[in-house]
Amino acid sequence: MIHMQPDAVISHFPHKRMEAWKWTDLRMSVSEEHMGLTRAVTPRLTLPDGVSCSPGNRHHGSSGVMPTLAAGFAPVCWNIRVPTGLNVQGPLRIDNLSGGHACMFIRVDKGASLDIEEYHQGPDRRFSNMDLQVHLAEGSRLRRVVVQNDPGNAVRVATACIAAEKHSILEQYMLSFGGALSRLETRLYSEGEGIEATMNGAYLLDGRRHTDMTGHVEIAGSHCTVRQSVKGVVTDKSRGVFQGKFHVKQAAQHTDARMRHDALMLSDTTEVRARPELEIYADDVACAHGNTIGALDENVLFYMRQRGIPQARSRSMLTEAFVAEAFDDLDDAASKQSLLTRVQEWLA
Amino acid sequence: MQAFPKLSEAWEFGINLGKHDETLQSKDEALMLKINNLSVVVNNGEATILSGFNLDVPAGEVHAIMGPNGAGKSTLSYVLTGRDGYDVTEGSVTYRDENLLDMEPEERAVAGLFLSFQYPLEIPGVPTLTFLRTALNAQLRARGQEELSAPDFMKRARSVAKELRIKPDMLKRPLNVGFSGGEKKRMEIFQMLLLEPAFIVMDETDSGLDIDALRVVADGVNALRSPERGMLIITHYQRLLDYIVPNKVHVLAGGKIAVSGDADFARTLEADGYDTYAA
Repeated sequence: MIHMQPDAVISHFPHKRMEAWKWTDLRMSVSEEHMGLTRAVTPRLTLPDGVSCSPGNRHHGSSGVMPTLAAGFAPVCWNIRVPTGLNVQGPLRIDNLSGGHACMFIRVDKGASLDIEEYHQGPDRRFSNMDLQVHLAEGSRLRRVVVQNDPGNAVRVATACIAAEKHSILEQYMLSFGGALSRLETRLYSEGEGIEATMNGAYLLDGRRHTDMTGHVEIAGSHCTVRQSVKGVVTDKSRGVFQGKFHVKQAAQHTDARMRHDALMLSDTTEVRARPELEIYADDVACAHGNTIGALDENVLFYMRQRGIPQARSRSMLTEAFVAEAFDDLDDAASKQSLLTRVQEWLA
Repeated sequence: MQAFPKLSEAWEFGINLGKHDETLQSKDEALMLKINNLSVVVNNGEATILSGFNLDVPAGEVHAIMGPNGAGKSTLSYVLTGRDGYDVTEGSVTYRDENLLDMEPEERAVAGLFLSFQYPLEIPGVPTLTFLRTALNAQLRARGQEELSAPDFMKRARSVAKELRIKPDMLKRPLNVGFSGGEKKRMEIFQMLLLEPAFIVMDETDSGLDIDALRVVADGVNALRSPERGMLIITHYQRLLDYIVPNKVHVLAGGKIAVSGDADFARTLEADGYDTYAA
């Protein structure tokens, strides 16, 4: 445990002069009025049958200032374990992640399977910082569905650091509505061959909200498949940030990795910043990245209106269809519908 | 033989032209569409497309607009349906005694105006049936009529699709995405039959159609001919008019109607070319 005054904590926060945070100036977004800067928050965990949880020490997987601060302020790291071969029925639900620092470690043992639902939402003017470490053992599977929906004056950083052994599967779907500042960061370390990862997400922002979806994937084994598609919708004076990096190491032959970020700007006062990156050291791989930023197609809007669909409804239908693509591959119908319902509510 | 649901049969599905049309029925007997001295510019006035354009289409009649490339045929269709980018600098367009130019595109659709697009748009992520049910119910709602339930809509959609030889799978796919040119045109007719508009503008519907598809499309359009409905068929070629025989044929050239004639006039045009009349 560390003890610091709020202003001292803020002075340690990343800021715009740091390359990885240049579009997400955490230090400038937080004030001493934000509650939770110097305290821990205890996550509320709804454990499905067969999944255990105990307080323990933090594992040394995550690096960076924010996970380090989370570990420093949180008295314990919550260790969650899925035993070998267990196909867990029902999701592990994680919420109450607002107003402080939280630290968790999830281990999915060999051949086991787990679904997680994370809800990052809370009251006004909270500062929240989560450090989640995950270890996927050989042949295991994790589906992580993340919903972030904070008030417009809340600040949140959620960092997940996932180590994946060979033939494990990660499916991740994020939906963010931003806050004064929200950064959802995923760092995936593929340590074996044949790993399959899907890292999709969407952000929908209005007012002066800010979301940063940052992903960093290191691929060290051969025959890995990575798919990342992030969709952004921004209006008013909001700001969306996407940073993606695939680091394909020399041994990672036959990697098939594709990254996309597509953003819709619904007004001309918004801002979208994107940095898709590939760093490849293997010579027999198929890697691609793409980034588009645009507006709704006026020709399509006219076509819809010509059929009698009012302009506002036409715009919301097109926007929903655009966002929904990020969740196309989510094969849990209830989770998918839940995400789409939130999108529809935002558009209404 | 009428292959498609007639207007009278539409009552079975809870669709009718309703109060809106009953109110305006007496007006239908006279002119349905009246275009008077219309001038249209694009590119902020840099180019004049239509100038002094006049056209009257009574209810129950089908008029064809023919003309060379660049004559302004598509511009006419877009001005009638309210697309942005076309500025009317002079003249008026009256549709069922209302000033059409004052209405938003969706209001024109609710009033019964339908454009079959020359290049139908693809809408990724929006299933065809979802799109059409949304459109139909939006129109019904705006007219103060009861919306169609999902089962009733499906029953009606399947029936019309069968007549147009549209595979049910196509209706589940996103609208026009991955469709061939002919399939897209057929989908326009499918929408037309479902929405049952009062006035139809067809912009080069025959382009991209093979002869069998042309016949299917023409059958669909002919099924909608009625004393209450007007149609404006824009085309380059006479062949579509072999299947949809118009009451009048007009040549659009120099921004206005250069010459008009009866259905046989289209054949004369085909033989003589447009230059004779456009000069």
